[in-house]
Amino acid sequence: MTLKSSFGRRQWRASHPLNVRISHWVNVIAGTYLLVSGLHIFLDFPELYWGHTGYRGYPAIFKLEDWGLSWDEAGSLGNRMWGRNYHFTFAWVFLINGLIYVGWNLRTGHLQQQLWLNRDELRLDNLHRDLRQQVRWTLPRQTTTTEYGTLQKLSYLMLIFVFVPLMVLTGLAQSPGFTAAWPWLLDIFGGRQSARTLHSVGTILFIVFVILHILEVIRAGATNRIRSMFTGHLLISSSTSDIRRGGEMSSADT
Amino acid sequence: MKASFSNPIQFIQQHQISRRNMLSSIPALVGLFSSGCSRDTFIPPTIRTGLIGVADVLTMSANRFLLSDQPLAREYELSDIAPEFPTWGQTDPQDEEYQQLRSRGFRGWSLPVKGLVRRPTDFTLEQLKQMPARTQITAHVCEQGWSAIGQWTGVPLVQVLNAAGGIKPTARYVMLDTVDGWYEGIDLFEVMHPQTILAYSLNGQALPIGNGAPLRLRVERQCGYKNLKFLKSIQVVDSMASFGRGTGGINSDWGFHWFGGV
Repeated sequence: MTLKSSFGRRQWRASHPLNVRISHWVNVIAGTYLLVSGLHIFLDFPELYWGHTGYRGYPAIFKLEDWGLSWDEAGSLGNRMWGRNYHFTFAWVFLINGLIYVGWNLRTGHLQQQLWLNRDELRLDNLHRDLRQQVRWTLPRQTTTTEYGTLQKLSYLMLIFVFVPLMVLTGLAQSPGFTAAWPWLLDIFGGRQSARTLHSVGTILFIVFVILHILEVIRAGATNRIRSMFTGHLLISSSTSDIRRGGEMSSADT
Repeated sequence: MKASFSNPIQFIQQHQISRRNMLSSIPALVGLFSSGCSRDTFIPPTIRTGLIGVADVLTMSANRFLLSDQPLAREYELSDIAPEFPTWGQTDPQDEEYQQLRSRGFRGWSLPVKGLVRRPTDFTLEQLKQMPARTQITAHVCEQGWSAIGQWTGVPLVQVLNAAGGIKPTARYVMLDTVDGWYEGIDLFEVMHPQTILAYSLNGQALPIGNGAPLRLRVERQCGYKNLKFLKSIQVVDSMASFGRGTGGINSDWGFHWFGGV
């Protein structure tokens, strides 16, 4: 039995405010440029080290050579001048866009309303159930609500308030100019090369996030979800706004 | 002191570069913004077109804003010094005159300091070594991604300019060039910094050929590509338009950003 037949109604519901939609697509562009330009920079020096010191010949903790791509092959793929120019440019786009997004939506309360976790959601059994459903791929298709799941909220909160600040700081910790102004950047990450390594690990986490995000969008109904990020309206299958995911609603897709 | 920060020319002429004086001055933001040097301190000499140019200005302005009280770059311990300081790029210029000087242990080598100084002078290596020296253990940060710590000894650029009679009021940049044809300009904000030195020694030894003998620039708050090796001459200028393609350095002529702070 589907929700559509049990309620017999489908209607448009406001999902994302205009400023969220704009900042989302600016992020897509800036994030793509940051990723590609970052790879260009990395490929021109494809080794990672730990501590304050690292150069070709110094003990590395990661060498692309060990993974089948020689130094020269990597160098021919990467253009660090192009990479640096666009990395710093879109770092500013990303940063300013993010600050506007957070500031604006804290002010309107949209961020708190969508992402803040309540006491019930933070209960261990709820987190456990959410995780189990994620792993087993049995979450409902979310055709019934504009609200986010618990792990979804946690991921977005971690992304905005932990991951992005750490990527900015590990980026700045590689700069001779910014570390002269803020030498504590070198101390918190244990050195310039450690910061570069952590920045690279962060790049992999970012790729994982993007893949999971796209998979979740597909599962939740790609057309409906992607359209809503342009139009701001989600087509949902219920007239009752207070129905939440989980529990009895998990029969929606069965 | 506060006024000196707002006016690098006066600062350099006054010759006050002690760390204590630096620290005792309150960050002179107001002074920097209201003085004539504000544009050069916050904005590159030429601004690239498009979004990249906007980002260049934001990066330089943000960094210089945070550096407005002229802090020193991190100085390390002797034990942090890299086992073998790497060499990169040019390691042995095949310039005939250079090779001759090299074979003579750089006897007869001299550094012309010219342009907008009161007494343009050629300084021999011995004369530079007799000037007040500074030794610093700092990280060389290459824009490629590598970094290595070394102990540099040299004469602060300010001392050299003062030995040439000091700079004229119209001075805005110091353009350095090398025996292998490189040229880079740095602004007075960087020139006046105590760690900006012309180094003739690495790790207690004479500067090795691969690291730029006999004399190289150390500008510790900027990337490796601004730290020119194999210095040939120094020119104080009010405009860098006549050098190369006019962006203020060979690296920015190629397409890197001029401000080497990131």
